[in-house]
Amino acid sequence: MLVLAVSASAGAQRVEAPEASVKAAFLYKFGGYVEWPPRTGGSAEPFTIGVLDSEAVAEELDRLVPGRSVGGRPVAVRRLRRGDPMKGVQLLFAGGESPDRDAIRAAQAEGALVVTESRAGLAAGSAINFVMAGDHVGFEVSLDGAERSGLRISARMLAVARRVVQKGA
Amino acid sequence: MLRRLRTSITRKIMLLVVGTTVSALLLSAVGLVVYDLRSYERQRTEDLHLQAEIIARASAPALAFDDRRTAEKDLALVRVRPLVIAAAIYTEHGELFAKYLKPGEPPADFPSRPGPEGSRVQGGEIVMFHRVVEGTDPLGTIYIRARYVPWGRVFSYLAILGIVMVASLALATVVSGWLQHGVTDPILEVARVAREVMNRRDYSLRARKTSEDEIGDLVDAFNGMLAEAGRRAEALREADRRKDEFLATLAHELRNPLAPLRNALEILRAAQATPEMHARALEMMERQLRQMVRLVDDLLDVSRITTGKLGVRKAAFDMREAVRDAVDTVRPFLDSRGHAFEARVAAEPLMVDGDAARLGQVVGNLLHNAAKYTEAGGRIELEAGREGDDAVVRVRDNGIGLDERALASIFDMFVQVDRSLTRAQAGLGVGLTLARRLVALHGGTITAYSAGLGRGSEFVMRIPVSDSPAARPVPEVRPGPPRPQGRRILIADDNVEFADSLSSLLASRGHDVRVAHDGAEALGAVEGFTPEFAFLDIGMPKVHGYELARRLRERPETAECVLVAVTGWGQEDDRRRALEAGFDRHLVKPVNPADIESLLQLMGRPQVA
Repeated sequence: MLVLAVSASAGAQRVEAPEASVKAAFLYKFGGYVEWPPRTGGSAEPFTIGVLDSEAVAEELDRLVPGRSVGGRPVAVRRLRRGDPMKGVQLLFAGGESPDRDAIRAAQAEGALVVTESRAGLAAGSAINFVMAGDHVGFEVSLDGAERSGLRISARMLAVARRVVQKGA
Repeated sequence: MLRRLRTSITRKIMLLVVGTTVSALLLSAVGLVVYDLRSYERQRTEDLHLQAEIIARASAPALAFDDRRTAEKDLALVRVRPLVIAAAIYTEHGELFAKYLKPGEPPADFPSRPGPEGSRVQGGEIVMFHRVVEGTDPLGTIYIRARYVPWGRVFSYLAILGIVMVASLALATVVSGWLQHGVTDPILEVARVAREVMNRRDYSLRARKTSEDEIGDLVDAFNGMLAEAGRRAEALREADRRKDEFLATLAHELRNPLAPLRNALEILRAAQATPEMHARALEMMERQLRQMVRLVDDLLDVSRITTGKLGVRKAAFDMREAVRDAVDTVRPFLDSRGHAFEARVAAEPLMVDGDAARLGQVVGNLLHNAAKYTEAGGRIELEAGREGDDAVVRVRDNGIGLDERALASIFDMFVQVDRSLTRAQAGLGVGLTLARRLVALHGGTITAYSAGLGRGSEFVMRIPVSDSPAARPVPEVRPGPPRPQGRRILIADDNVEFADSLSSLLASRGHDVRVAHDGAEALGAVEGFTPEFAFLDIGMPKVHGYELARRLRERPETAECVLVAVTGWGQEDDRRRALEAGFDRHLVKPVNPADIESLLQLMGRPQVA
């Protein structure tokens, strides 16, 4: 995946791009390990990944998602700004070291899975938080964070998480 | 031989049973092993496939989220399968991501890139590649290498086969032993009886039948053959005995008339013999001669019967004629025995299609037998009439009769009822055999009836009546007194004595006779003689009888002459040749002078006064 990411990225982004690229790929893959509630809309309604405060990841997602699907739905990327409504977003990536807690709450109120990349990500209420170990991208999971969105994360995914914060912990 | 037979059949049965068992076992074993090897391979493949799938499911997240440690932990699950030597996970791009090597195994090379999906067996190992897919996204490939050891199973099979084989052989021994009782023993019994029969010539022995199967049939057939062989041996002995008796009788019969003949000759020579004595001697000679002629005729008929050459010349004739001839022939014998004889012959003709002389012979034989087998002074009856479509002749007597056994065998060759009869009357014992054959040749039957010994007997001859009307009138032939008129007669025979004696006889009755001793002489003798009758021998020197007859027929002076062939050959063929050559009649030697006399009267043209 790293190789693909490197070859797919432009030469100028060599340092930034791998990390953003891996995160974009992970975001897309998280969709496959979450138990989504039964859908209400039509099957044509896309699985929408909302990206807040990370143009690099949004760009990688743009490159990655065409032709891909989550749970049989095509994947769409939506760039968000602070204060944007969360309606129709299934997965929110709140980038940056200090994620927008209001956005996180709003997203969780809409039942969206929230992913952050901040050291205080889980504390800010997200379900999944990217952590770096050297140049490897890993992630930690908060079961409470998932539950706030009314979602369950697959045990298979938990097996590869760096850290899983149990409920009430 | 018994020993060899026993070993041989026993061994064959053993070989059969064991051979069948072993081949069946080997065939089924080979089939089982092949099937098992195939299903073992399939089973191992499916097993590996399942393991690969489990690892793929487990390690998919690790691959997805690039977690080597977890991948290696997932991979290590295969250690619970001791046959798996090595396993590995490759990324979506074909890079080695995680690997597992069974503890204790020597370090092994992992393929640098995954191969195509699927499994293959190479050497003692089976290698499988299996794709990891999450949803629709390919994530990587699982590689598993495991031991593939089918031979262990083959060896187990061989061991089981060996045990089964030993058990089967033991069973086969028991079965073949049982078969030996069922098959070999009856055959040995048959062989034993056969040997016994050969040794003792005792055809009454029988093999014991012990089963109702094909071997039982064999025993039955064998016993049947023994019975048949016994019957044939008995029949041969019986035929042989009869033939011996016949030969003894024949010698006796032929010799019997010789003494009276010699005595009569002496009487004729004796100077002091009176004319009455001469006459009696001549009468006796004639009687004895007739007896000998009859014997020789019988002999000829026996040979015809045995060679199947007995034939009849059929022509429509009145059966009453044959009956009268027979009565005339036998009458002197009937009278000599002092029997009362009564003949009731139908008034209307009894026309049949047949050989008058032969059927007359049959009736004569029946009458002769009746006279012979009835005590002197008995009663003989003859009836001839029509019953339905048959002309029936019955000859009844109140003589010694026949018991049941005799009734059954009386028509067999050389069988005679009473051997105690005086030899002068005995005959050869062929009369009834001949009679039955002759009657059969006419499509008729002859049957004997008797109420038992001493109660007389009845013989009934039936011949189908022919539908043709009475073609010719029955000539009432009674040998009348010889006519005084003489005939011109030529006798040609190289047997000088026969020719001369016949010549003297005929000359003594007033005929004009010339004698020739060969064909050429005969041709010379007819010059200026113009014979009315010519008695010609066939086997003469210079010109034989057939040729002589042809030449005489060509000459005007002898064209109308009555030509009579006189030969020792009485076969049908001889008669035919004689008639073809131009002869009018055919007489068989020895010729009865009375026959010649009646011939002269019958055939002669009216005398020119």
